[in-house]
Amino acid sequence: MSKLKVYDPAMCCSTGVCGPQVDMTLVGFAADLDWLKRQGVEVERYNLSQQPAAFVANSVVSEEVRRDINVLPILLVDDEIVCRGRYPLRTELADLFSIKDEGRPGLLRVIPQTGD
Amino acid sequence: MWTDNLNSKYLFFTGKGGVGKTSLACAAAIHLASEATPVLLVSTDPASNLDEVLGRSLGASPVEIEGVKGLFAANLDPAAAALTYRERAVAPYRGLLPDAAIRSMEEQFSGSCTLEIAAFDEFTTLLGGTETAARYAHVVFDTAPTGHTLRLLALPAAWTGFIDTNTSGMSCLGPLAALKQQEALYRSSLTALRDEARTTIVLVARADAASLQEAARASLELGALGICNQHLVVNGLVERISTTDQVATALQNRCSVALAHLPDALRDLPISTVHLMSNPLVGLAALQSLKTPDAVSLSPVTVGVLPEVPISLDPLIDNLLRCNHGVIMTMGKGGVGKTTVAVKIAESLARTGAPVLLTTTDPAGRGTSLLNNELNNLTIERIDPTVEVQKYRDEVLAASSGRIDEHGLALLEEDLRSPCTEEIAVFRAFATAVARGNDHYVVIDTAPTGHTILLMDAAEAYHREVLRTQSEMPESVRQLLPRLRDPEYTRVILVTLPEPTPVHEAKELHDDLQRAGISSCAWVVNQSFLASGTREPLLLRKASLEGRWIDEVLQVSPLTVVLPWSEGNLH
Repeated sequence: MSKLKVYDPAMCCSTGVCGPQVDMTLVGFAADLDWLKRQGVEVERYNLSQQPAAFVANSVVSEEVRRDINVLPILLVDDEIVCRGRYPLRTELADLFSIKDEGRPGLLRVIPQTGD
Repeated sequence: MWTDNLNSKYLFFTGKGGVGKTSLACAAAIHLASEATPVLLVSTDPASNLDEVLGRSLGASPVEIEGVKGLFAANLDPAAAALTYRERAVAPYRGLLPDAAIRSMEEQFSGSCTLEIAAFDEFTTLLGGTETAARYAHVVFDTAPTGHTLRLLALPAAWTGFIDTNTSGMSCLGPLAALKQQEALYRSSLTALRDEARTTIVLVARADAASLQEAARASLELGALGICNQHLVVNGLVERISTTDQVATALQNRCSVALAHLPDALRDLPISTVHLMSNPLVGLAALQSLKTPDAVSLSPVTVGVLPEVPISLDPLIDNLLRCNHGVIMTMGKGGVGKTTVAVKIAESLARTGAPVLLTTTDPAGRGTSLLNNELNNLTIERIDPTVEVQKYRDEVLAASSGRIDEHGLALLEEDLRSPCTEEIAVFRAFATAVARGNDHYVVIDTAPTGHTILLMDAAEAYHREVLRTQSEMPESVRQLLPRLRDPEYTRVILVTLPEPTPVHEAKELHDDLQRAGISSCAWVVNQSFLASGTREPLLLRKASLEGRWIDEVLQVSPLTVVLPWSEGNLH
């Protein structure tokens, strides 16, 4: 099966729990990647602030970043860009790898949360 | 000699702020160096005063101290360590990645996590690395004030556990792969700490109930971490002075009562005592004099003159009452009496009938039980890290349930176990307390200096974060820095003792705050023997040295009050 590579923007960490407010997009995406791995897809994830070498080493990514840093996150499947500038939904990930989502409802970040 | 039996490979001095950890650690290191060399003396306090005590400027690399053969000293400054750490990570990519990418990387390395990781990295290298062990006969750590010390000491245990249980492959502590390489180092750090043959924890306390209780708390907490080789040093003891002087009698009584009622946790520990010295223990000559008892009767006593300052809080309270709400923060070095001053201010304000909230961010959580609260309009709260973390975790998990599946939830729960969560949770609680200054007087008895600076730093980092993202930010956090910077909203009161180190640390704090755009409105010089009216020779000699430090405060302070030494004073 193909491999998914995720190139995150510079972050303290990719969990989403660091910062004055939990970033539900990151929390949801971490859960989605975890789900994808359980479906047998190999996933690699790189954070610009912690693994810059991976950004330099990949010519597709380094070319994109050179043009505009805001293009991150970039997702690659077999060195081809499948998503840029945002984190995809689980259904999109499922489509990419032709996985039939078992249809657990409401798994994704559908409700935009407002601050307290 | 008080240093008898203090000859382990690793010595850690811990205790409440202001009990004399740094001075005693220096004196012990000097003593050890006279028997076996080389000796390394290290401070891990973010607000270290090792430089001042030794009279030398120190950095992260050990330097030999002139005048003491075989004694080396270093300051592990977390902020400097974080910069080095950041530079090591970013520098190789300058030119390889565009400037915007480099800037965004650097930004991520300026948060509190980086500080914590960088400090921890240096700490474990010293403790768990083979290089230091081989090079030095003894390593003496002058650790930070208690709350921070315990966190530091607990880290090898907490982080080792964290590495063991984190399975998601992402972690707050940088790429897990890199940490795995460090794991051996973390484990050997913990082993060294727990090894009674190698490590002694020196619990330093004054002969007063509050400081002994703090030592007892530390003793139990360390014991729970498996660090059991402990030794108690009671510093500043006053005994066998025959006198009718009220202040000296009160001081002497307090000492004997405190020692007679040692907390249970301390009873079985080996104990040594150090008598109260008239001179501050600053500089090599003074430190070496710790070997001999203070020569009280040697020189004639000169009576000091108190500079013209009010000796009550009244002018300060009048000043605060000009505005009918807002945040009042007492800040200063550990042990100067921030809690006492905060309690007195809160009581005085509450007596006018105004709603007052007294809150503490001190990790050691003292103070709030010390007030006999009979005022209905005075509320007392404590920011307890354990409670705040639990609240924060519950809140996050509740907000997430229904939005992610159970695997995702398990992942999130695991991520919330990261050491950063406490920092964030405490920070949010602090922001909430500050927000309540809108319609209350909120008196905040802040944590000791080092921790406070970290907190302020966090405020600055979060402020930048707010400006960048604007998303999902609690209003209290968004407003925090603007509120702290508004002199009408936040009144910072610097508290000090009339002694060199506390005055100098408060001045540094004053400068740090100013750099962050926060001004201080008044200084309180606490626990003055000069203002106490004592006639006892030892205390008079101490008192005669105070004028100089009060004058130094007067030069920088917009409003200064002096409070006489009093028995009931809490640290």
